[in-house]
Amino acid sequence: MDTPDKAVTVERAYDDLLRRSLSHISGDLARLIYLASTRDYNTGKYHHDGLAAHFQTEIACQALELAHRKTFYRVAGRSLEELVGELDLYVNSSRQNRDDVLQVWQKLEPYRVALPVNVDVVAAQLFVSNIKLALAILRQRLARELTAQAS
Amino acid sequence: MIDFLSLIAGVLLVLMLMAVATKGWMGSRQLPDPVPGSSEGEPTEPCPKEFVSRVFSRGDWEFVHGLKSRGMERLFEHERKKVALVWVRQTSALVRNAIREHARAARQSKNLDFLGEISILAQFLILILSCRVLSIAIHIAGPVRLSGLAQFAQRLSQQVDRLQESLHGGVLAGASGTRAT
Repeated sequence: MDTPDKAVTVERAYDDLLRRSLSHISGDLARLIYLASTRDYNTGKYHHDGLAAHFQTEIACQALELAHRKTFYRVAGRSLEELVGELDLYVNSSRQNRDDVLQVWQKLEPYRVALPVNVDVVAAQLFVSNIKLALAILRQRLARELTAQAS
Repeated sequence: MIDFLSLIAGVLLVLMLMAVATKGWMGSRQLPDPVPGSSEGEPTEPCPKEFVSRVFSRGDWEFVHGLKSRGMERLFEHERKKVALVWVRQTSALVRNAIREHARAARQSKNLDFLGEISILAQFLILILSCRVLSIAIHIAGPVRLSGLAQFAQRLSQQVDRLQESLHGGVLAGASGTRAT
């Protein structure tokens, strides 16, 4: 069981993470993808060099996990319209061709790896389902834009 | 007399077979792919309420309907139905867990209240039946088409919450002092 001191330190590391790293990323979906990318595929442990240098590796890992869960539940609870906006923001910030990114996301479904471990099954299913819908909506919107430009 | 009993037995057998077939059919339909990361095995706590509201919300449907694309509407209905059925299965599993937990406590109890037990059994049956009704309604009409379905789902969710609270409080089975720890 965590001691109160350790819990306070994790909270401090979490605040530090919000202030120094996450505040520079626009959109919760982009933050979610970033946080998932700090997790090792083999061990499931999170790592962040800067945070681990200020705090201990284990504290940094817990703070990242906390941020990942909180961000996930925030994104999963969004309305579909808000999520379409989040995805649009993410795709626009990627510097790649929008349609290519959307196509790859539809084919490879990389957002499935963005889920934290042991989240509620309904929240997880809702998130995956809403991202699929948001991708379809954005691709349709893009196709309409291109048709309008061509005519 | 023997013919009458045979008839009753036959009818019961047919009903049982129909129940088994229906259960299998319901279970085999629209089972979504397992989502990586989500909690596996038996659920221990209900889904947060804001997600239940979101699954049955008409807001998302109105947004999709506003896009004026039949294909998108169909995709939305298909996807939202899958999520709603996952929630029903989770809720149903929670109720079944509660029944098992209660049965375990009741077996160890030395002073069972018969009327209380009947009332608890009735509650369990109503909850299980509600899950079945909701599941059928979702299969037929989808989670956002029927205007009372969201309230029905919320009520069901609250009833399961109350059931779990009373179980954790040791109220069931007159269990205080007699329940296994």
